[in-house]
Amino acid sequence: MMKKIMQGLGIGVLLAAANVRAATIVMDVNGLVCAFCAQGIEKKLRAFEATDDLVVSLERRLVAVSTKPGQDIGDDVLRTALTDAGYTVKAIRRSDEPLSAVRDRLKAPEK
Amino acid sequence: MHSLVAGRRAAVLLCACAAAAAQAKPIAFADGTTVMAEYGAGTMVEAQAFYAPSYRFSAGGGWLRLDSDLDRRTREIGYVRANYLLERWNLEAAQANVFVWGSLGRSEGDGFGGSRLARNAGFQLDYETRRVYAALKSDLWESDAFSHRIDTMQLGLAPYEHDYRDLATWFVVQARRYTGGIHRGTETAFLLRLFKGGAWVEAGVTGEGKPQVMAMFNF
Repeated sequence: MMKKIMQGLGIGVLLAAANVRAATIVMDVNGLVCAFCAQGIEKKLRAFEATDDLVVSLERRLVAVSTKPGQDIGDDVLRTALTDAGYTVKAIRRSDEPLSAVRDRLKAPEK
Repeated sequence: MHSLVAGRRAAVLLCACAAAAAQAKPIAFADGTTVMAEYGAGTMVEAQAFYAPSYRFSAGGGWLRLDSDLDRRTREIGYVRANYLLERWNLEAAQANVFVWGSLGRSEGDGFGGSRLARNAGFQLDYETRRVYAALKSDLWESDAFSHRIDTMQLGLAPYEHDYRDLATWFVVQARRYTGGIHRGTETAFLLRLFKGGAWVEAGVTGEGKPQVMAMFNF
Protein backbone atom coordinates (compact mmCIF):
# COMPACT_ATOMS: atom_id res chain seq x y z
CA MET A 1 0.00 0.00 0.00
CA MET A 2 2.76 2.41 1.03
CA LYS A 3 4.66 1.49 -2.14
CA LYS A 4 1.67 2.38 -4.31
CA ILE A 5 1.25 5.73 -2.53
CA MET A 6 4.92 6.53 -3.09
CA GLN A 7 4.67 5.52 -6.78
CA GLY A 8 1.58 7.68 -7.13
CA LEU A 9 3.32 10.63 -5.52
CA GLY A 10 6.35 10.13 -7.74
CA ILE A 11 4.22 10.09 -10.90
CA GLY A 12 2.36 13.14 -9.64
CA VAL A 13 5.59 15.05 -9.05
CA LEU A 14 6.85 14.11 -12.53
CA LEU A 15 3.60 15.21 -14.18
CA ALA A 16 3.61 18.46 -12.24
CA ALA A 17 7.22 19.08 -13.24
CA ALA A 18 6.38 18.46 -16.89
CA ASN A 19 3.42 20.78 -16.62
CA VAL A 20 5.45 23.68 -15.27
CA ARG A 21 8.58 23.06 -17.36
CA ALA A 22 9.88 26.25 -18.93
CA ALA A 23 9.13 26.56 -22.62
CA THR A 24 11.62 27.74 -25.21
CA ILE A 25 10.43 30.03 -27.99
CA VAL A 26 12.69 30.37 -31.01
CA MET A 27 12.33 33.25 -33.48
CA ASP A 28 13.98 33.70 -36.86
CA VAL A 29 14.73 37.40 -37.28
CA ASN A 30 15.76 39.46 -40.29
CA GLY A 31 18.12 42.43 -39.96
CA LEU A 32 20.04 40.96 -37.06
CA VAL A 33 23.58 41.98 -38.03
CA CYS A 34 25.20 43.81 -35.13
CA ALA A 35 25.66 43.64 -31.38
CA PHE A 36 23.61 46.81 -30.92
CA CYS A 37 20.67 45.10 -32.67
CA ALA A 38 20.96 42.20 -30.23
CA GLN A 39 21.30 44.57 -27.29
CA GLY A 40 18.04 46.31 -28.17
CA ILE A 41 16.19 43.05 -28.62
CA GLU A 42 17.53 41.68 -25.35
CA LYS A 43 16.45 44.81 -23.48
CA LYS A 44 12.95 44.58 -24.97
CA LEU A 45 12.45 40.87 -24.22
CA ARG A 46 13.92 40.92 -20.72
CA ALA A 47 11.31 43.52 -19.82
CA PHE A 48 8.63 40.80 -19.96
CA GLU A 49 7.72 39.34 -16.57
CA ALA A 50 7.49 35.87 -18.13
CA THR A 51 11.01 35.93 -19.59
CA ASP A 52 13.42 33.67 -17.77
CA ASP A 53 16.46 33.86 -20.04
CA LEU A 54 17.29 34.41 -23.66
CA VAL A 55 19.97 33.95 -26.25
CA VAL A 56 20.61 35.95 -29.42
CA SER A 57 22.63 34.55 -32.31
CA LEU A 58 23.72 36.85 -35.11
CA GLU A 59 25.28 33.84 -36.85
CA ARG A 60 22.01 31.89 -37.01
CA ARG A 61 19.83 35.04 -37.12
CA LEU A 62 17.67 33.85 -34.27
CA VAL A 63 16.46 34.86 -30.85
CA ALA A 64 15.48 32.17 -28.32
CA VAL A 65 13.57 32.95 -25.14
CA SER A 66 12.84 30.64 -22.22
CA THR A 67 9.86 31.52 -20.06
CA LYS A 68 9.42 31.05 -16.36
CA PRO A 69 7.63 27.87 -15.27
CA GLY A 70 3.91 28.04 -15.97
CA GLN A 71 4.22 31.29 -17.91
CA ASP A 72 4.13 32.10 -21.61
CA ILE A 73 4.50 35.00 -24.02
CA GLY A 74 2.12 34.99 -26.96
CA ASP A 75 3.36 35.00 -30.57
CA ASP A 76 1.63 38.30 -31.27
CA VAL A 77 3.26 39.91 -28.24
CA LEU A 78 6.70 38.65 -29.30
CA ARG A 79 6.19 39.72 -32.89
CA THR A 80 5.12 43.19 -31.76
CA ALA A 81 8.08 43.46 -29.38
CA LEU A 82 10.61 42.65 -32.09
CA THR A 83 8.88 44.87 -34.63
CA ASP A 84 8.92 47.69 -32.07
CA ALA A 85 12.62 47.01 -31.59
CA GLY A 86 13.09 47.58 -35.33
CA TYR A 87 13.41 44.03 -36.65
CA THR A 88 11.38 41.66 -38.81
CA VAL A 89 10.24 38.33 -37.39
CA LYS A 90 10.16 35.63 -40.06
CA ALA A 91 8.98 32.70 -37.95
CA ILE A 92 8.18 31.76 -34.37
CA ARG A 93 8.29 28.18 -33.13
CA ARG A 94 8.01 26.58 -29.71
CA SER A 95 10.25 23.84 -28.53
CA ASP A 96 10.61 21.48 -25.60
CA GLU A 97 14.37 21.87 -25.93
CA PRO A 98 15.75 23.74 -22.91
CA LEU A 99 17.42 27.07 -23.63
CA SER A 100 20.74 25.68 -22.42
CA ALA A 101 20.58 23.05 -25.18
CA VAL A 102 19.75 25.74 -27.76
CA ARG A 103 22.72 27.75 -26.50
CA ASP A 104 25.02 24.70 -26.78
CA ARG A 105 23.73 23.94 -30.27
CA LEU A 106 24.42 27.53 -31.33
CA LYS A 107 28.01 27.25 -30.13
CA ALA A 108 28.57 24.19 -32.32
CA PRO A 109 29.86 24.84 -35.84
CA GLU A 110 27.07 25.23 -38.40
CA LYS A 111 26.68 22.14 -40.62
CA MET B 1 36.23 67.05 -69.91
CA HIS B 2 33.42 68.26 -67.64
CA SER B 3 31.42 65.12 -68.34
CA LEU B 4 34.47 62.95 -67.51
CA VAL B 5 34.91 64.68 -64.13
CA ALA B 6 31.18 64.48 -63.43
CA GLY B 7 31.24 60.80 -64.40
CA ARG B 8 34.14 60.09 -62.03
CA ARG B 9 32.36 61.92 -59.21
CA ALA B 10 29.17 59.96 -59.87
CA ALA B 11 31.14 56.69 -59.90
CA VAL B 12 32.84 57.52 -56.59
CA LEU B 13 29.49 58.41 -55.01
CA LEU B 14 27.86 55.27 -56.39
CA CYS B 15 30.67 53.06 -55.10
CA ALA B 16 30.42 54.69 -51.71
CA CYS B 17 26.67 54.10 -51.53
CA ALA B 18 26.85 50.56 -52.85
CA ALA B 19 29.67 49.48 -50.61
CA ALA B 20 28.07 51.02 -47.49
CA ALA B 21 30.49 51.10 -44.28
CA ALA B 22 30.18 50.94 -40.41
CA GLN B 23 29.22 54.24 -38.91
CA ALA B 24 27.58 55.08 -35.63
CA LYS B 25 23.82 55.32 -35.89
CA PRO B 26 21.95 58.24 -34.32
CA ILE B 27 19.37 55.77 -32.95
CA ALA B 28 20.83 52.58 -31.50
CA PHE B 29 17.69 50.85 -30.23
CA ALA B 30 14.32 51.53 -28.60
CA ASP B 31 14.46 52.72 -25.00
CA GLY B 32 18.21 53.16 -25.42
CA THR B 33 20.57 55.98 -24.55
CA THR B 34 23.54 56.77 -26.76
CA VAL B 35 26.50 58.86 -25.68
CA MET B 36 29.28 59.55 -28.16
CA ALA B 37 32.33 61.72 -28.62
CA GLU B 38 34.59 62.21 -31.61
CA TYR B 39 37.92 63.91 -32.09
CA GLY B 40 38.41 64.46 -35.81
CA ALA B 41 42.02 65.19 -36.60
CA GLY B 42 42.08 68.59 -34.93
CA THR B 43 39.46 69.91 -37.35
CA MET B 44 36.31 68.70 -35.66
CA VAL B 45 35.38 67.76 -32.10
CA GLU B 46 31.84 66.64 -31.33
CA ALA B 47 30.01 65.18 -28.35
CA GLN B 48 26.41 63.97 -28.40
CA ALA B 49 23.85 62.31 -26.14
CA PHE B 50 20.50 60.95 -27.30
CA TYR B 51 17.62 59.03 -25.82
CA ALA B 52 15.44 56.92 -28.12
CA PRO B 53 11.90 56.20 -26.92
CA SER B 54 11.40 54.12 -30.06
CA TYR B 55 13.66 52.65 -32.72
CA ARG B 56 12.48 55.34 -35.13
CA PHE B 57 13.11 58.45 -33.08
CA SER B 58 15.68 59.88 -30.72
CA ALA B 59 16.26 63.31 -29.24
CA GLY B 60 19.05 64.90 -27.32
CA GLY B 61 21.80 67.41 -27.57
CA GLY B 62 25.35 67.94 -28.61
CA TRP B 63 28.30 70.21 -28.91
CA LEU B 64 30.40 70.74 -32.03
CA ARG B 65 33.65 72.60 -32.54
CA LEU B 66 35.21 73.21 -35.92
CA ASP B 67 38.76 74.53 -36.27
CA SER B 68 39.90 75.52 -39.72
CA ASP B 69 43.30 74.23 -40.74
CA LEU B 70 43.41 76.95 -43.44
CA ASP B 71 43.02 80.05 -41.26
CA ARG B 72 42.00 81.07 -37.72
CA ARG B 73 38.33 80.28 -38.30
CA THR B 74 36.58 78.50 -35.44
CA ARG B 75 32.97 77.54 -34.83
CA GLU B 76 31.52 76.33 -31.57
CA ILE B 77 27.91 75.18 -31.54
CA GLY B 78 25.79 73.81 -28.71
CA TYR B 79 22.56 72.29 -30.00
CA VAL B 80 19.44 70.22 -29.45
CA ARG B 81 18.68 67.59 -32.09
CA ALA B 82 15.93 65.23 -33.18
CA ASN B 83 16.83 62.11 -35.21
CA TYR B 84 14.37 60.10 -37.26
CA LEU B 85 14.72 56.73 -38.97
CA LEU B 86 13.05 57.43 -42.30
CA GLU B 87 13.37 53.90 -43.65
CA ARG B 88 14.82 50.56 -42.65
CA TRP B 89 15.25 47.43 -44.70
CA ASN B 90 15.71 44.26 -42.68
CA LEU B 91 17.20 41.73 -45.05
CA GLU B 92 18.07 38.14 -44.17
CA ALA B 93 21.73 38.87 -43.50
CA ALA B 94 21.90 42.64 -43.84
CA GLN B 95 20.29 45.85 -42.75
CA ALA B 96 20.03 49.21 -44.51
CA ASN B 97 18.83 52.50 -43.05
CA VAL B 98 18.04 56.07 -43.97
CA PHE B 99 18.28 58.49 -41.03
CA VAL B 100 17.51 62.20 -41.09
CA TRP B 101 17.93 64.82 -38.38
CA GLY B 102 17.56 68.47 -37.61
CA SER B 103 19.05 70.69 -34.91
CA LEU B 104 18.85 74.16 -33.51
CA GLY B 105 21.59 75.72 -31.45
CA ARG B 106 23.67 78.71 -30.50
CA SER B 107 26.99 79.31 -32.20
CA GLU B 108 30.03 81.38 -31.44
CA GLY B 109 33.17 81.76 -33.45
CA ASP B 110 35.94 83.71 -35.00
CA GLY B 111 34.90 86.38 -37.49
CA PHE B 112 31.54 87.32 -35.99
CA GLY B 113 30.53 88.87 -32.72
CA GLY B 114 28.29 87.37 -30.06
CA SER B 115 26.33 84.20 -30.48
CA ARG B 116 24.13 83.37 -33.44
CA LEU B 117 21.26 80.99 -33.98
CA ALA B 118 22.56 77.94 -35.83
CA ARG B 119 20.41 75.45 -37.70
CA ASN B 120 21.30 72.04 -38.95
CA ALA B 121 19.95 69.32 -41.21
CA GLY B 122 21.55 66.02 -42.10
CA PHE B 123 21.07 62.52 -43.34
CA GLN B 124 22.81 59.17 -43.21
CA LEU B 125 22.47 56.20 -45.53
CA ASP B 126 23.99 52.98 -44.30
CA TYR B 127 24.15 49.34 -45.23
CA GLU B 128 25.58 46.64 -43.03
CA THR B 129 26.27 42.94 -43.04
CA ARG B 130 28.48 41.15 -40.53
CA ARG B 131 31.46 41.59 -42.87
CA VAL B 132 30.84 44.82 -44.74
CA TYR B 133 29.56 48.19 -43.61
CA ALA B 134 29.16 51.33 -45.68
CA ALA B 135 27.76 54.72 -44.84
CA LEU B 136 27.30 58.10 -46.41
CA LYS B 137 26.56 60.99 -44.07
CA SER B 138 26.02 64.67 -44.74
CA ASP B 139 25.67 67.31 -42.05
CA LEU B 140 24.87 70.94 -42.92
CA TRP B 141 25.27 73.76 -40.40
CA GLU B 142 24.14 77.27 -41.17
CA SER B 143 23.72 80.59 -39.46
CA ASP B 144 23.59 84.14 -40.77
CA ALA B 145 27.38 84.22 -40.31
CA PHE B 146 28.51 80.88 -41.79
CA SER B 147 27.61 77.77 -43.72
CA HIS B 148 29.52 74.51 -43.35
CA ARG B 149 28.73 71.08 -44.69
CA ILE B 150 30.56 67.99 -43.50
CA ASP B 151 30.26 65.00 -45.82
CA THR B 152 31.60 61.68 -44.57
CA MET B 153 31.84 58.35 -46.35
CA GLN B 154 33.01 55.18 -44.65
CA LEU B 155 33.71 51.70 -45.88
CA GLY B 156 34.36 49.04 -43.26
CA LEU B 157 35.46 45.46 -43.57
CA ALA B 158 35.40 42.96 -40.72
CA PRO B 159 38.16 40.31 -40.73
CA TYR B 160 35.74 37.84 -39.09
CA GLU B 161 32.02 37.61 -38.39
CA HIS B 162 31.39 38.55 -34.78
CA ASP B 163 28.47 37.33 -32.75
CA TYR B 164 26.61 38.96 -29.88
CA ARG B 165 28.91 39.41 -26.86
CA ASP B 166 32.01 38.77 -29.02
CA LEU B 167 34.52 41.49 -29.69
CA ALA B 168 33.77 42.93 -33.11
CA THR B 169 36.69 44.25 -35.15
CA TRP B 170 36.40 46.46 -38.20
CA PHE B 171 38.94 48.08 -40.50
CA VAL B 172 37.47 51.33 -41.77
CA VAL B 173 38.48 53.71 -44.53
CA GLN B 174 36.97 57.16 -44.28
CA ALA B 175 36.80 60.12 -46.64
CA ARG B 176 35.56 63.46 -45.33
CA ARG B 177 35.05 66.85 -46.94
CA TYR B 178 34.34 70.17 -45.24
CA THR B 179 32.92 73.24 -46.95
CA GLY B 180 33.15 76.84 -45.78
CA GLY B 181 36.92 77.12 -45.33
CA ILE B 182 37.46 74.46 -42.67
CA HIS B 183 39.65 72.10 -44.68
CA ARG B 184 40.80 71.98 -48.27
CA GLY B 185 40.27 68.82 -50.27
CA THR B 186 39.30 65.39 -49.04
CA GLU B 187 40.56 64.22 -45.68
CA THR B 188 41.12 60.47 -45.65
CA ALA B 189 41.52 58.36 -42.53
CA PHE B 190 42.28 54.74 -41.71
CA LEU B 191 40.60 53.50 -38.56
CA LEU B 192 40.46 50.44 -36.35
CA ARG B 193 37.03 50.00 -34.80
CA LEU B 194 36.31 47.70 -31.87
CA PHE B 195 33.01 47.13 -30.16
CA LYS B 196 31.62 44.77 -27.63
CA GLY B 197 28.29 44.89 -25.86
CA GLY B 198 27.29 48.53 -25.74
CA ALA B 199 30.79 50.00 -25.99
CA TRP B 200 32.37 51.13 -29.23
CA VAL B 201 35.85 52.62 -29.67
CA GLU B 202 37.64 53.55 -32.86
CA ALA B 203 40.97 55.15 -33.48
CA GLY B 204 43.23 55.84 -36.40
CA VAL B 205 45.10 58.44 -38.37
CA THR B 206 44.35 60.65 -41.33
CA GLY B 207 46.43 60.70 -44.48
CA GLU B 208 48.20 63.72 -42.97
CA GLY B 209 49.12 61.69 -39.89
CA LYS B 210 46.65 63.40 -37.53
CA PRO B 211 44.79 61.31 -34.96
CA GLN B 212 41.11 60.55 -35.14
CA VAL B 213 39.32 58.96 -32.18
CA MET B 214 35.72 58.14 -31.45
CA ALA B 215 33.94 56.46 -28.56
CA MET B 216 30.29 55.55 -28.23
CA PHE B 217 28.28 53.87 -25.49
CA ASN B 218 24.77 52.50 -25.76
CA PHE B 219 22.77 51.47 -22.73
